Amino acid sequence: MEIPFVVNARKDTGLFNSKVGIWLFLASEVTLFGGLFSGYLFLRLYADYPWPERALPVLPGLINTFVLIGSSVTVVFAWAALKMREWKKFQVYMAITLLCALLFMVLKGIEYNAKFNHQAVRITGGSPVEDFGILEGHVHYAKLDGDHLKDVPKEQKGDEGVFPANRLIFKASNLTFALKRPAHEAYVTAILDQLPEGGSIKLVDPYIVEGKTIVEAGEDLSVDALAKMEDAFLDARAHDSKIRTQFEKASWAWIRGEQGVTEMSTYVVETDLWKDRRAEDVKAYTPLMLGAAAEVAFKIEPPFNLVLDPDDSPPGLRSSEQIRLRDDTVVKGKMLDSPIIMAVDAIDFRHTAQRAEKEGIDPLEAIKTSWILTHEAAHHDDDTAEGHKSEDHRNELKKAWDCHSAWLKYETERLAEDGRVPTTNDKYRVNWDQMLAYKKLDYDEEAVYNASKDGSLYSTHLFDLGGFAGANHNKHHFPHVEIPRDKVGFESSFTPKWSTYYAIYFTITGLHGLHVIGGALVLGYYLFFGRKMYESNPEWLANRVEVGGLFWHFVDLVWIFLFPILYLM
Amino acid sequence: MSAESHDHHDDHHHVLPFWKKYLFSTDHKTIGIQYGLAAGAFLLFGFFLMIVMRWSIAYPHEPLPGYLSWIFTDGWKARWLDDGKVTGETYNMFGAMHGTIMVFLGVVPLGFAAFGNYVTPLQIGAPDMAFPKLNMASFWVYLAGGLIMCMSFFMESGAAKSGWTNYSPLAGYADRQIVNQFLAGQTQWLIGLVLLITSSLLGSVNFITTIIQLRAKGLTWMRLPFFVWAMLVTAFLLLLAFPPLEAAGIMQLMDRVTGSSFFMPSGLYSKSDGILDLSGSGSPLLFQHLFWFLGHPEVYVLLLPAIACVAEIIPANTRKPLWGYKPMVWAVIVLGFLSFIVWAHHMYLTGMGPVISTFFQTTTVLISVPSVILLTSMIISLWGGSIRFTMPMIWAAAFLPMFGIGGLTGLPLAFNLADLHLHDTYYVIGHFHYVVAPGILFGLFAGVYHWYPKMTGRFMDNTLGHLHFWPSLIAMNFLFFPMLTQGMAGFHRRWYNGGEGYIEKVDGGINVFGQTVAQNIHLNEVMTAAAMALAIFQLPFLVNMFVSYFWGKKVTSDNPWDATTLEWATPTPPGHGNFTFDIAVYRGPYEYSRPDHDKDYFPQWEEPKRSTTVEEPVIPAEVPAEEVSAEEGNKH
Repeated sequence: MEIPFVVNARKDTGLFNSKVGIWLFLASEVTLFGGLFSGYLFLRLYADYPWPERALPVLPGLINTFVLIGSSVTVVFAWAALKMREWKKFQVYMAITLLCALLFMVLKGIEYNAKFNHQAVRITGGSPVEDFGILEGHVHYAKLDGDHLKDVPKEQKGDEGVFPANRLIFKASNLTFALKRPAHEAYVTAILDQLPEGGSIKLVDPYIVEGKTIVEAGEDLSVDALAKMEDAFLDARAHDSKIRTQFEKASWAWIRGEQGVTEMSTYVVETDLWKDRRAEDVKAYTPLMLGAAAEVAFKIEPPFNLVLDPDDSPPGLRSSEQIRLRDDTVVKGKMLDSPIIMAVDAIDFRHTAQRAEKEGIDPLEAIKTSWILTHEAAHHDDDTAEGHKSEDHRNELKKAWDCHSAWLKYETERLAEDGRVPTTNDKYRVNWDQMLAYKKLDYDEEAVYNASKDGSLYSTHLFDLGGFAGANHNKHHFPHVEIPRDKVGFESSFTPKWSTYYAIYFTITGLHGLHVIGGALVLGYYLFFGRKMYESNPEWLANRVEVGGLFWHFVDLVWIFLFPILYLM
Repeated sequence: MSAESHDHHDDHHHVLPFWKKYLFSTDHKTIGIQYGLAAGAFLLFGFFLMIVMRWSIAYPHEPLPGYLSWIFTDGWKARWLDDGKVTGETYNMFGAMHGTIMVFLGVVPLGFAAFGNYVTPLQIGAPDMAFPKLNMASFWVYLAGGLIMCMSFFMESGAAKSGWTNYSPLAGYADRQIVNQFLAGQTQWLIGLVLLITSSLLGSVNFITTIIQLRAKGLTWMRLPFFVWAMLVTAFLLLLAFPPLEAAGIMQLMDRVTGSSFFMPSGLYSKSDGILDLSGSGSPLLFQHLFWFLGHPEVYVLLLPAIACVAEIIPANTRKPLWGYKPMVWAVIVLGFLSFIVWAHHMYLTGMGPVISTFFQTTTVLISVPSVILLTSMIISLWGGSIRFTMPMIWAAAFLPMFGIGGLTGLPLAFNLADLHLHDTYYVIGHFHYVVAPGILFGLFAGVYHWYPKMTGRFMDNTLGHLHFWPSLIAMNFLFFPMLTQGMAGFHRRWYNGGEGYIEKVDGGINVFGQTVAQNIHLNEVMTAAAMALAIFQLPFLVNMFVSYFWGKKVTSDNPWDATTLEWATPTPPGHGNFTFDIAVYRGPYEYSRPDHDKDYFPQWEEPKRSTTVEEPVIPAEVPAEEVSAEEGNKH
């Protein structure tokens, strides 16, 4: 049996099968991306925070646009070469297409990587609009020095005891595991790993079910011991529930059968007859119950400082005396100072301004009260600013902000000449290149104003490839800030979690990236394994490449929509 | 046929190993049967979940009886039942999965994928689907998706429990306590869904390509059996409506796995977790729009295959042409278009605004026009026919009034004023179950009885058939009609205890709603009994399917119903490649009782016997088929 119209077109439709197939598939792809694009519109139109406009580095996106357009051309050349039966030429053009796909994905990877390593913190509390100032930057690395964090150079990040300085530090003295749910194994091993030498985590009371000791008191915490107790608890629970079910069934049978109360609806269980019977049941089955404890407590001796990822115990689950992990394990003890230490490469007050305007407060007044500008400069603030300390009480961010005001003053004058006004971005956001420029001028406001005027402010950074995908922290030094935990309203790296903008950015570009990879795999298959088919049925191979090429054009087209929407608008 | 096909005539003689022939087969008929069996199993499972739920509705304080609970382990019962009684959480889980399984894993695969796969290529005279390997992939992706969804019943988190519509923010929040989100039922549901959508995407591309490209010579568009038209429209609905749900599924998956806030508004608070650690600013309404953009066309994806089966069975058993074939074709196309612009009538109560509601109210009323054309044409087709009440015809005949009730009870829901009262009540449940169960499922049962002889070479047993049909008809009505009554009395669709909490217990008390609930609550027991009866009377069907395969009455010809469409021109059962001769089509699909023909049916493939036969041109495949004996096709 052979399927017709695989190679040659059907006359009345003028198409071979796979061409019909690919156009249909692309139609469905249009509605798939259509759904995502309409999601973008919805999220942007109804956003209750300032939508990040032009927040992505344009250069990688721009290069990628041309790379994909180029590859769309070469894939057509590859197909044409096949049609003309020029195998070598086909190979060359197809190889170029694939290299373009590779380059696209590498640039994408660089961009993604920069985002994953870029932290944002939304400050909370204090000011009349709950602050909502945002700091962006790179998290430092730290290790514990007694009960405090000690900043360590980035090079030591792989060392033992060194962790990113955005963790929770909790002096743990007791652990309670809920046996109803299996403890998350990774949590248990992480806790055991962090246990200092000579320390111990021991079961407080023996775990006894039905007179049998499952785990002795004083046994060390281990995944095995927990699993044993969980199993025993679940068995006991099943046993108890089974007996109670039997009793309840017997009572229903009794009331319906022997008592003949057939009209008694199951909805009505408040009658005396029923209540008495159930009371008797409880008396009868209580001695049969195993009643295994649903929790087991461990004592930590001596208490030690546990370093935790904040995601494992979201803010609603922690207090100063105890934290609950997501698997319901409760750690008791004392929360220590757990600041986020980071090098700040951008300050953003747009959200503060938006909230202030909503409340009818002058945005600048609200900004003035932000913790970002009012906090005291840290003792171990970075060395370069050391010299100014004695006469200047402003923290470094405040200095940068004041310089920004100077720059804004000039910018406003400049724009006013053309009858324009600064954008909210200009007004309320200090970008990384501005941070660097202000610092370079020693935070001298007058110098900033003058430099803005003569256009020398950021000339040095214009073609700085270090900033290809954002601020380059290896090359530049940014102000160093310690944010106390209670000032952290919301924190995340620039991942989908940070905002709906980054969520839709990662989702659409990620899905598009998967399409690029999928398309490249198929085209690569034709390039590397197509020779045999070329020799036996070159027209069929040409059909396949044509269909693959159509898909490739679609992938290109999606990007042509994505680039302006995500990078330029 | 293409030039290559002539070199491979000996393909028929290949002996395939078992696993290739029955398991990883690329033959559309095997795949159709695989779909049918898998979907049947899922339907039974979904039905079982429902019976457990119905027990809880009627007898909320009574432990599940042994015949319902034996399937669960003691450990599972201790986790999910409260001393043998169904808890609200378990009820939600079963409810969400009942809907999901019935819609995505049961009815759509049975109607579209099973019948569509088996019958469509036969009816258009094709040797197979256009992309046989894609067809196989489609089945296995579907099965994987279904199993992934159902496996979550055995996880600590349990299966999805936020309704089959999986609305956020509830669905985005549920199971958040599970550290590894890939082991949470809610997440598994989404992964399963993405697989199911992928499967139906592959399927629909395949169907449309097959219908466009592989029609036999002479089979012009207006000679296509209505079944094929319905499948074509269904495939387009799946193709274009499902991807936006895939987009929504991906976004919800991101919400769960990466902590994003696509559908999570700002300031979400939960009692146990406080203010949730989310960026917020997401839009729950966006999810509903994307969901119902699929959700409503999905209704027609469920319905059209059933109508398709009935439209084939009625002409074959009334021995007259389908009345209004052409209007029906146009109606189904218009129905397809309109079904894309009615979705928000599911969302009148979301606060979209009156302008949008009015628009969708208008389109919703409009779509009843083509639906009525379809149903009316089939009813009129019965008029004056010499009806043979064969097993398939009995089911098809019952389909008409039952689906009629389902359709007509939908009208009040189309108007947003009436919907204010009826929204989320049992009335809605009664309405769409009338559409789906005694409507669509009856149509599909009719299809099973109709094509079973072609699939196996044996008829299904009539006695068992009647034992299946009559009790099912009665039980269905006792099951679904009280729902309409209860719904109008205000019973909410998600009460796990049947409304016990709302009963006014004092005689003559002032709680009017409580009085209404008290008056109607005993219908719950009627419905539960009917559901159990319905379950019992599916046994004759299962026995019939199995027994008839081995001992049923053998068919004596390849065309046992004396029907006219191309599937009856194949050997019984059809071999790989389907047709044993070069098939050509000479006339329309329903040429019954033609006065100029001695038999009361004139199959599409039979060469016309005329004195002018000599002039009958040899038709090359590529010639647009209208040119060939066009006058033949238009005669009726």
